[in-house]
Amino acid sequence: MTVDRPLGLVLLEMSLLVLLGPLVTGTIQKLKARLQCRQGAGVLQPYRDLAKLLGKGTVQADTASGFFRSVPVLVLAATVAAAALVPVLRAGPPAFPLGDAVMLLGLLALARFLTAVGALDAGGAFGGMGASREMTVAPLVEPALMLVVFSTAVVAGTTELGALAGQRGTSWFPAWRAADFLGLAAMLVLLPAETGRIPVDNPDTHLELTMLHEGMLLEHSGPGLACMVLASHTRQLVMLGLVSALFFPVGPVDGAGVPGLLVGAGAFAAKILLLATFLALVESSYAKLRFFRVPQYLGVGFVCALLALGLRIL
Amino acid sequence: MAETLLWVLPLVPTVTALLMLTTRNRRLLSALDVGGSAVLVALTLVLAREVAAGGPRALGLLRVDDLGLVFLLLLVVLTLAVSIYTVGWLGEAVAVGNMKAESLRSYFALVHAFVATMVVTVLADNLGVLWIAMEGTTITSAILIGYHGHHHGLEAAWKYIIVTTIGISFGLFGTVLVYAAYAAAVPLAAGAGGLSWSAIMQVAPSLDPGIVRIGFIFVMIGYGTKAGLAPMHLWLPDAHSQAPTPVSALLSGVLIKCALLGIIRFQTIAAAACGPAFPTQVLLVFGLTSVIVATPFILAQHDIKRLLGYHSVEHVGIVALGLGFGGPVGTYGALLHVVNHGVTKALAFFAAGTAIARYGSRDMRVIRGLLAVAPIGATLLMLAALSLAGLPPFSIFVSELMVLRAGIGDGHWPAVAIFLAMVVVILAGLLHHAGSMAFGEAPASAGRQREARSPLLGMALLAAIMVLAGLTIPTSFDGLLRRATGIVVD
Amino acid sequence: MSPETVHTIIDDLGALLLLTMIVIVAATQIYRAIYAVAAQSLLIAVAGAVLAASTGNVDLWVIAGVTLAVKALVLPWVLHRVVQRMNVRREVEPVIPVAATLALTVAVVVMSFQLSASLGSVGRAITGNALPVGIALTLLGVLVMATQKTALTQMVGLFASENGIFFTAMAVTQGMPLIIEIGVILDVILAALVMAIMVLRVRSTVDADIADLDELRG
Repeated sequence: MTVDRPLGLVLLEMSLLVLLGPLVTGTIQKLKARLQCRQGAGVLQPYRDLAKLLGKGTVQADTASGFFRSVPVLVLAATVAAAALVPVLRAGPPAFPLGDAVMLLGLLALARFLTAVGALDAGGAFGGMGASREMTVAPLVEPALMLVVFSTAVVAGTTELGALAGQRGTSWFPAWRAADFLGLAAMLVLLPAETGRIPVDNPDTHLELTMLHEGMLLEHSGPGLACMVLASHTRQLVMLGLVSALFFPVGPVDGAGVPGLLVGAGAFAAKILLLATFLALVESSYAKLRFFRVPQYLGVGFVCALLALGLRIL
Repeated sequence: MAETLLWVLPLVPTVTALLMLTTRNRRLLSALDVGGSAVLVALTLVLAREVAAGGPRALGLLRVDDLGLVFLLLLVVLTLAVSIYTVGWLGEAVAVGNMKAESLRSYFALVHAFVATMVVTVLADNLGVLWIAMEGTTITSAILIGYHGHHHGLEAAWKYIIVTTIGISFGLFGTVLVYAAYAAAVPLAAGAGGLSWSAIMQVAPSLDPGIVRIGFIFVMIGYGTKAGLAPMHLWLPDAHSQAPTPVSALLSGVLIKCALLGIIRFQTIAAAACGPAFPTQVLLVFGLTSVIVATPFILAQHDIKRLLGYHSVEHVGIVALGLGFGGPVGTYGALLHVVNHGVTKALAFFAAGTAIARYGSRDMRVIRGLLAVAPIGATLLMLAALSLAGLPPFSIFVSELMVLRAGIGDGHWPAVAIFLAMVVVILAGLLHHAGSMAFGEAPASAGRQREARSPLLGMALLAAIMVLAGLTIPTSFDGLLRRATGIVVD
Repeated sequence: MSPETVHTIIDDLGALLLLTMIVIVAATQIYRAIYAVAAQSLLIAVAGAVLAASTGNVDLWVIAGVTLAVKALVLPWVLHRVVQRMNVRREVEPVIPVAATLALTVAVVVMSFQLSASLGSVGRAITGNALPVGIALTLLGVLVMATQKTALTQMVGLFASENGIFFTAMAVTQGMPLIIEIGVILDVILAALVMAIMVLRVRSTVDADIADLDELRG
């Protein structure tokens, strides 16, 4: 039987996700570098970048309105709020009213929307391009993610992630139903899109023709940019957390007490490392798709997700 | 004796094919060709007598009953006619350069391999063997269709192999489903002999109707593709027009009939399991579609071999209608039509082939005044066209009338009306085409050499059967058809 | 293994088969389609092995082995060779947009499940969801053959189709007779060889892709 998660635990998990986000990005970059036979920057490099940005001043375009300044804070706030909804160390519903998976996706969508609005507000050409592209991809990704969540939620009878993860219990691959395979496949297809990685986006480039997410950040600087970057690190880890909450058991079943939490933390680290390796492998072995090919790629994820839901219902 | 023959029959063309691979001499190849076909005919006649006297025989995966015998007789007679025709046709084709003299043996060997697979199709009792042999016919005939090796031939061959292979995989799925129904109904009797048609027929009424229904639709699409039923007929006009003429005759005369036999086998199972109304409906839909779809293409066609191809679509549709109307009259008519159309269509292809060789074109606007340059060939072409159009006193008139009679008897008025209208329109179109080819002024480009003897002999054989069958059906053949009808209807 | 376990495993394999099929439908490069169909055949072989182990049917072991050797290894290898040898266009050319094909895919799968759900007593004769998955694979293979222009993708569609039939056939409780299955596999190999020869022949005689041959109509 799963135990409720108290407020303290939820806050702990949230801050873990926010604080460890840059570390995951650093790990992926390091793995990628090693796969490409490069030495690569240390795994802590994203932290150093953030610190550097926080120490810099802010420059703002003349065309930008006052709203532009508040965008980074709002984006970060929405993303951090989303982070609170993911069970990390232990499964089980929260002990107090908290949002569910739909809320999580909604908050992430809000953050994305604010980012795009901010990019448009600054009036730069690249920002506008990035925003338009991002908004073309988003409507393809978000419904598919919803479908994956629903395909799991149908069984559990709830969309609250903690309860969903609790429902999954300790079951691994052998106990999976057919729909789980398709759902995970859909998730793995969508993951690079949602985390802004190859083959949909390229996080390493500022070449105007290829960038989606990076294009929208061009006009930000200093602490504002730091907020935006931190938000995207967090968003990535939240997505990975969502995958593991949906498809892999979270923490030991009777995981009350500190040892249980530690086991849960270890398991979480292992799962995230696995998914990070997956992302690094995909990034190293595929090329970025031409933009008009992206809907086709995402279509595969959408179909898988739809079928996963279909298999549950039929 | 009869049981041994069951194994020997498919072996005859196989051995012939293997023997052919040992020689390059054209005379020897032709002799082997005619000889092998003649042996096949003789053995089949022996088998027919044995079966008439002693009823169906089975041996392992093969079985011969009266139904299969009807198709077998058609197959071997047409094979013999094709062999005789090929002797003279080949001389011309080699001279023109259509066939390469050095690769003739592989052509002959493939034709006989093709015949062997068709013999197995007809004799198969096991539905799995039926499918395997049917796919075998695809593989062997695909190479034959593209044999000329030019652009269009290869395109037709590719289309043929892709379309029929798609179709035939539906057929396999249907077979699997029927087997699943059988395995569910008779848990212990399944196993090696589990796909035997005769075994399934014994328990057919107790099969699950739902799964048999889906299975039958799959089979109908699958074997229907091979039979050239619209809308799965896409390969047929291309393949018939691009293949060497003897192969066209075999495709149209026998191959699509073999597929019909497959459909009949499953129809009997479906009728027993789900009641006769269901297969009737399916067959009527496909039959009517074929007749309707073929008509405009026949009218607008300029390529004579494509015309004959589309015409085959129409006639397969008529057979399906006859089977659909059902009852003793409809089924008898359908089976008779299978034989009549096979013989007549082969004759038409032969006559068209010689005309094409004479004019160097398949375009009917070029082929004119045939009567003046090749009187015998032109007469045979006219006879075939008149018969195909369904005029009395030829045999097709008789069988079409029986199909019509069955439809009226069962009160399928809309189907009968459409059928009649289309047949009348096609009659007009066909007579127009045939008339314009036979009469008029022959262009200077037309060859005026004497007509070769062996093609005429092959055609005369078929024409004789065609005319005779129109005037009277021999008692022994009538008895065979009646017993075959009994197998389908009961 | 208990019947329930087998049932679950077949269901799971069915889902993975659908996944490979989606990859084939959406593949933009010929190699990816070939690898996907090889993976699919591998899954079929695994399904055969599972069913063989559970029913003790020796025939199924043979079929699983043959499937593994022929359809998962030899045929993909042949396709691979043809691609290399011909230096064909690697990009797949669909006749209709891939998005539309994917939409059709969903429709086909849903329809297959509906259809087999409407059959009550099939559960006794066919294990798990082998019937709907088989129907879906067969139809989707045909869809691939119909919507792709290049010869090699059409062959991939054919193999996928055949895989669907095999999956259902294996899951029929008694299993199909061995001789029939072997015959079917032989036929598939022969058909593939004839197709490969034809592709090469078109290349050598008229110097064109099969896809470029579209003059016969009407």
